[in-house]
Amino acid sequence: MTEKIDPITFEVIKNALDAIADEMALVVMRSAHSAICRDSLDYSTAVCDDQGRMVAQGLMTALHMGSFPFAMRILTEQYQGQMNPGDLFITNDPYGGGGMHLPDIYVTQPIFFEGRVEGYATTLVHATDIGGITPGSTAVHATEIYQEGLRIPLVKFYDRGQVNDTILKVIEKNVRVPKKVLGDLRAQVAACHSANKQMCQMFEKYGVPKMRLYFEEMHDCAERVMRDEIRNLPDGSYRFTDFIDGFGEDPEPIPFRVKVTIKDDEVTVDWTGTSPQVKGAINAPGPFVYSATYLALRCMVRSDIPNAEGYMRPIKLVVPPGTIVNPSLPAAANARGVTGFRVMDTVLGALSKAVPERVPAAGEGGATNPSIGGMWKGEPFVFTEGILGGWGGRPDRDGVDGLANLAANQTNQPVEFVESDNPIEIVQYGLVNDSGGPGKFRGGMAIIREWRLLVDEAVFTMRSDRRSHLPYGVEGGKSGTPSWNILNPGPNQKILPVLPQESSVLKKGDSVRHIQPGAGGYGDPLMRDPQLVLEDVRDEKLGIDYVKREYGVVIDQEKLNVDEAATRRLRRRMAESKDRGQDPESHVRHFVRSLKLGRRYLPGSKTSPGKRSPKRTK
Amino acid sequence: MAKGKTFRVGADIGGTFTDIVLIGDDGSIATKKVSSTPADYGVAIAAGLAELLKETDVDPAAIEGVVHGTTVVTNAIIEQKGAKTALITTAGFRDVLELRRIRIPELYNFFYDKIPPLVRRQLRFEVDERMGPRGDVKTPLDVKSVEAVIERIREADIQAVAICLLHSYSNPEHERKIAEMVRAALPSSVFVTCSADVLPEIREYERTSTTVINAYVGPVVASYMSSLLGKLNAIGVGAPLRIMQSNGGVMGTDAVLEKPASIVESGPAAGVIGAATSAALGGYLNIITLDMGGTTAKASMVENGAVAKTSEYEVGAGINLSSQLTKGRGHALKLPVIDVSEIGAGGGSIIQVGRDGRLQVGPQSAGAEPGPACYDGGGEEPTLTDALVLLGYINPDYLVGGEMLLNADKSRQAMQRAVAEPLGKDLIEVAHGALVVAGATMMRAVKAVTTYRGRDPRDFALFAFGGNGPVVAAQVADQLQIKQVIVPPNPGLFSAFGLLFSKIEHEFARTLFRRAVEVDRREISDVYDQLEVQTLSAMKADGYQSREVTLVRQADLRYSGQAYELTVPVDGGPLGKTIVEDIVEAFGAEHQRTYGHRAEDDPVDLVNLRVVGSAPPRGPQNISPAAAIAGHGRAQARDKPTRMANFGAAHGQLETSVISRKDLLGRHQDGPLIIEEYDATIVVPPGWSSTLDEWGNVLMKSR
Repeated sequence: MTEKIDPITFEVIKNALDAIADEMALVVMRSAHSAICRDSLDYSTAVCDDQGRMVAQGLMTALHMGSFPFAMRILTEQYQGQMNPGDLFITNDPYGGGGMHLPDIYVTQPIFFEGRVEGYATTLVHATDIGGITPGSTAVHATEIYQEGLRIPLVKFYDRGQVNDTILKVIEKNVRVPKKVLGDLRAQVAACHSANKQMCQMFEKYGVPKMRLYFEEMHDCAERVMRDEIRNLPDGSYRFTDFIDGFGEDPEPIPFRVKVTIKDDEVTVDWTGTSPQVKGAINAPGPFVYSATYLALRCMVRSDIPNAEGYMRPIKLVVPPGTIVNPSLPAAANARGVTGFRVMDTVLGALSKAVPERVPAAGEGGATNPSIGGMWKGEPFVFTEGILGGWGGRPDRDGVDGLANLAANQTNQPVEFVESDNPIEIVQYGLVNDSGGPGKFRGGMAIIREWRLLVDEAVFTMRSDRRSHLPYGVEGGKSGTPSWNILNPGPNQKILPVLPQESSVLKKGDSVRHIQPGAGGYGDPLMRDPQLVLEDVRDEKLGIDYVKREYGVVIDQEKLNVDEAATRRLRRRMAESKDRGQDPESHVRHFVRSLKLGRRYLPGSKTSPGKRSPKRTK
Repeated sequence: MAKGKTFRVGADIGGTFTDIVLIGDDGSIATKKVSSTPADYGVAIAAGLAELLKETDVDPAAIEGVVHGTTVVTNAIIEQKGAKTALITTAGFRDVLELRRIRIPELYNFFYDKIPPLVRRQLRFEVDERMGPRGDVKTPLDVKSVEAVIERIREADIQAVAICLLHSYSNPEHERKIAEMVRAALPSSVFVTCSADVLPEIREYERTSTTVINAYVGPVVASYMSSLLGKLNAIGVGAPLRIMQSNGGVMGTDAVLEKPASIVESGPAAGVIGAATSAALGGYLNIITLDMGGTTAKASMVENGAVAKTSEYEVGAGINLSSQLTKGRGHALKLPVIDVSEIGAGGGSIIQVGRDGRLQVGPQSAGAEPGPACYDGGGEEPTLTDALVLLGYINPDYLVGGEMLLNADKSRQAMQRAVAEPLGKDLIEVAHGALVVAGATMMRAVKAVTTYRGRDPRDFALFAFGGNGPVVAAQVADQLQIKQVIVPPNPGLFSAFGLLFSKIEHEFARTLFRRAVEVDRREISDVYDQLEVQTLSAMKADGYQSREVTLVRQADLRYSGQAYELTVPVDGGPLGKTIVEDIVEAFGAEHQRTYGHRAEDDPVDLVNLRVVGSAPPRGPQNISPAAAIAGHGRAQARDKPTRMANFGAAHGQLETSVISRKDLLGRHQDGPLIIEEYDATIVVPPGWSSTLDEWGNVLMKSR
């Protein structure tokens, strides 16, 4: 190497690349048309080097990030020597294009400088609809990819600056809401153009050789840090098994078995023993599984590290073909998000055995995705959103109530916009009392969201999980609370499966209530500081009976303070008794019982007027 | 020295210093910098002003107006010292405030924590009622449920009540009724505020959060202002007090008491307004402001003389980088704020070598305590200020006109140990490297307000102020390929000047959310009429008659389905037949400009209509160059006309002239050059030239 790496130039170039990737993300956010993109932020952006290797990423959905390398590798191999200035490429194909599932559409622009490809700008947006058997295109019950919608092979979307009308028209005729989908594609093109312009300025300023040198150093630096971090993890093999509940009314559990082997400065993540691919749309094509696995390991790194794909080098995956983590054609994949979340949970479960001081208990298990579609004012409407929010208890502090899953860093949609844009009323949205996993550090509480249909008829599908296989606790913390989907809550309510095998038809006035899983707890609940327990009671998050049963903390109902003597006695008795006085499922049984009552509001999610408020002391 | 017959006062509070500027009706100026008094900021203002009046022999009764920029509100939020506040919401939605928008502002951190809500769950109450999106009453307000809530609020000993119901922007009736009941039932000292009055705009979290902030700071602002008025009265100053709002306009104390949340970013706004005004005097209509102090650097954009504003703002999270991507740390505040992007790079920013061998500057700061190593106050870590001392830019014997001595040896030791040795590099080389890295960080702040909005920074001049802005300005400009830098007189107390230039301003908005083509011209006209009446009456309360007021109409629009609106101007006067088409066309053009594309066929939503009323401040607008230079003219004679300064690998160590601003009068001088003054240092590197314009600004040009 003729030129030496200068740490100052390195920092300046890295900063500039990060800013370009962030700016791409902003262009998409502000000019995209679909709610899932602009409000839920279900998209990602990245800048790649001349070989198509990612060197910077927008601060977006973490679960997407590790997937770009696959799509880029296929693009650079397939179109080598056939790219021209002004070209943009498009694909969504999980079998051949490097895609993750059909709704995720990649748009990529090779960046030309002085007549050569010197980099790439790439974007990925989750389309509101890509056709297929249900509105929103995330039908869990699809059994083959051919039922899931339009499959776009890796082709030129723009050729020397001219849009490919054929592909545009094919998309337009095959999706339910073409305006939204094409509007989002335009935003992706605009983002690529913005990166193209700024990258060219950088090549002009630094020259190609210097940029290449620093691209290389970014990968090497990320690799060095990653290896350094792995070296500090204890060598060994750590196994963990987690599950997806399964399909339909009588679900058969779908196992995820992992063996994480740490040896010196490398990690091998072996998925042998994981479920074969399934007849349902939750098979996760390779790129997504790699992405989720990288993400789990990336979260172990404690220092700032360039977002260059070199950090992936010391991580090896074993993904047996034909399994849910590496499916073969024609496995359906559109609802595969849940699998990515479970992959991450499973890897973290294994890591919690290696470094319990760095790994939280399981979170809510990922986004729940309802989809409601029908006709409104004479036009088709498709409503989809992602419900997220609950972190597991952590080694030194509580989990968080109402915070996006780290893997899918998306926002919620404002209730007022949902109601303005759709024939839907949101009946309630909030935290559910007495939910989450008890622990020395409590798991995040469950979230409730309830939709009511305001037009004559619509089709409803749902992707959720974690009703029988709960978010796990760590180091003696209890599991989180289960997820429920309830049609028309009340005396005649009907419980819907977590992963229904058919869509339901909703009639005017019908409502669907979703309760997200509560996150797992960390550490022995009897070790929890009684004052923290009291704070939760005062905040009306946990009830007095609940904390007595789960935490052994006795609260004086009148004064609303901790009865310390009684608490000491109770905790001693619980600790001494054989089963620690605790039924590991007690919090779950009570929780489920209250759901089955089918009240208008969940107990405590509303402060019912006239309720006798506890007397407060000043 | 201030002469004149009547005077106006600008008083700006910073974390460390309180700056006071006195300006006469003849344009004469006097200034005072005193230590801030955080326990009660009013003390320093009154004491400083009294001293200044004495020094200049000005009669307190000759003061016609006091304009004040304050960080009291931000501090109350950051330090969680606001009023004990209750929140009343629609049944089923008490947790909207705590759930926020769910998103995390960073990617890989399992140990991230949300900022705690300003109102805890135990003080968030629900009432039975429901509006639809068009303001249709779906469930009438259940008065009994309100009575029950009031009972609980009474028991809880509450100082402020925020009311935010779903869709109240389209029908405020239920909120108003609740407010009436609460006011009737509770003592008059309880501050009660409705979301429909604070922010009648769609998006329930942002509206709730803004309303809660309004309630939370209301009682704090009220007591601060009455105490300050009392102190000013005590020194004989009975002139009206006006406060800088976050949007750069000023308003009277009564208006502030109605919407205290509008002065949250009072402090930073003043500098930007001052920059826009001073630059416009010199004919510079397109500038990027760079205000760098001890802990952060702030950037904002002025285009065609107009300051860029945003309504996507957060408070309480420390640094506010103007980018949605990093949003989610603080409390949403959706009132118009000057779009200031802040980044953790200031004089106190700590320089360190990361585990991966990278040189990093900030965001950790040594603050004022212990401060940079050279302050000799126990700070062991090298900071950007230490780097600037080692580079020869800052004169260790001449900070604040020599009132503060620096210990360059400490800088050398700290930098050697913590940076030069680990990197195996030369001391001066790493000091310059730290400057370059800080410049790269600041570049992101500048990009956040320019390229992120579709603007090219190369079309702008960089306007630098704050204690450290002029030292690093050329460095930042070089990295952004900006060719021109402007440094105003008194860059270190420039924000206090800005206060005196600010217009009296009131802004009102209302949501009219539907497809633009479905909106009737008369509907728009009616809303504008109402907003204008509201605006004029607020201006009148501040002492301005209708004929003095300039009214500007605006509309926020988006393509149906987009999450963010763009704001476009709307013609005044009677609305033409094609008004809707005109607005839609203006939106399309703005979309093209900002994002590089437009969608001709897509339906456009009208979201909000706005009216901004403004009037110029009374008193002199132009400051003569002589006054400007005299104003900061405490420059002392220097014993050495040159010193050695380092300008990086390309130029190395150069013997550099050191002059004061007035030495530049009527001539050009090429870099390397250092201009030293009372409150700041300007560095003109090789490749740059400098001169003085007729307003006393130092103009630097890159060759």
